[in-house]
Amino acid sequence: MQTTIKLTVNGRARTVEVDSRMILADMLRDQLRLTGTHIGCGTGNCGACTVMLDGRTVKSCCVLAADADGADVLTVEGLYTSPDDLHPIQQAFIANQGLQCGYCTPGMILSAKQLLDANPDPTEDDIRHGISGNLCRCTGYHFILESIQDAARVLRGEPSAPSASITGLRADDVAG
Amino acid sequence: MITAELELHRPGSVAEALDLLARHGDDAKILGGGMSLVPTMTLGLARPEIVISLNHVPELRAITEDAATATLRIGGTARHNDVIASPLVARHAPLLADAARHIGDVQVRNRGTIGGSVAHADPAADYLPTLVALAASVVVRSTRGERVIPAAEFFIDVMATALAPDELIAEIRVPSQGAARGAYRRLARVEGSFAIVNAAAVVRPAGSGASVVAIGGVAGAPVVVDASAAVAAGLTEAALAAFEDAVRTACPQPFEDLNGDAEYRREMAVIHARRALLAAAGAAAA
Repeated sequence: MQTTIKLTVNGRARTVEVDSRMILADMLRDQLRLTGTHIGCGTGNCGACTVMLDGRTVKSCCVLAADADGADVLTVEGLYTSPDDLHPIQQAFIANQGLQCGYCTPGMILSAKQLLDANPDPTEDDIRHGISGNLCRCTGYHFILESIQDAARVLRGEPSAPSASITGLRADDVAG
Repeated sequence: MITAELELHRPGSVAEALDLLARHGDDAKILGGGMSLVPTMTLGLARPEIVISLNHVPELRAITEDAATATLRIGGTARHNDVIASPLVARHAPLLADAARHIGDVQVRNRGTIGGSVAHADPAADYLPTLVALAASVVVRSTRGERVIPAAEFFIDVMATALAPDELIAEIRVPSQGAARGAYRRLARVEGSFAIVNAAAVVRPAGSGASVVAIGGVAGAPVVVDASAAVAAGLTEAALAAFEDAVRTACPQPFEDLNGDAEYRREMAVIHARRALLAAAGAAAA
């Protein structure tokens, strides 16, 4: 059963023909070719497919595409204008090595955005709760946490200050 | 992609949704936030022929109060985070918001609905014992009319409720807590997991109804234990011991699974019921 839906994706009005069985994550990836949204488990556990729907993060594997009719969707692609102009959260994940394989990263970044939009100065505990719906199978949580702390600093207008563990690691790499 | 064919309807009003249900009843499944239904369909474990999404019925999402009767009215498709953030919920039923904060994770609370959780009726869901302890009612509607079902009667067994195939949950009606105090405690392996057992306590001032603790995760439907005598006795150790025995008696055959056998679950029910009761009574949790 095909349905035509109209929605806004990353600020752009789109009209998409979707099958009623299609989930939002598939529509974003296969119809709109926005492959930054990853599908991990497909059953709402891992958070890799996290996108913002009308300003709130959702797991796009658990939303029917047709139900996004009329919605405003933000994916990781909507956070930056060009690779030279990344969002401060994306920049912080790079500066703090907040990713290993990178599969969970788009979801982590959108969960970080949801958190920081509401809470510009989160405690470590706030961050842990904020990303509790996102799994990192590389278990790189510590650097993800530091990335979000650093992004929060930058978004508050303070200078980026990557953690000592990361800067130390880099110095070792250079020395080696 | 869900593999089984399905016919999706997206009604724009309650009346339209009820007409669809009257026509398709048995073959139709209602979609709220989709936190349980969509993955279940993706896995092929649910294969409804017809899905009726309530995500385009704004009137079902409202949270209002009926000041004359001191009643909180939560629309069936209010998201968990709507419940948590609502000043009306904070005023009339803060216990409900306390319980909702434990549901899933941020993304689940952003999308999942109270009506969906109540209709799904997972025995360990955070809302179930909470609504029973608060003496809430589930307001269901069909083209045949409206029924107001006490939460204690709505939940029948594991994922089985009093909801008829042509009915939808229009509203959760919660009497204002007023001077009653509530507390919610749960045991879970990690944040975001369903509770192994959970307990919601409501301590009511003398003369304004029974003090109760409702316990989830042990039986098909929440188990209610009257705590009025323990509260009246000032929650002395002797009174608490009697209350704990009443909890044990009320949980003769708790569920058994990888999270714990019957004996473990029963004792966890006792401990969490006690903690919820003491917290509701304002005492330090033991």
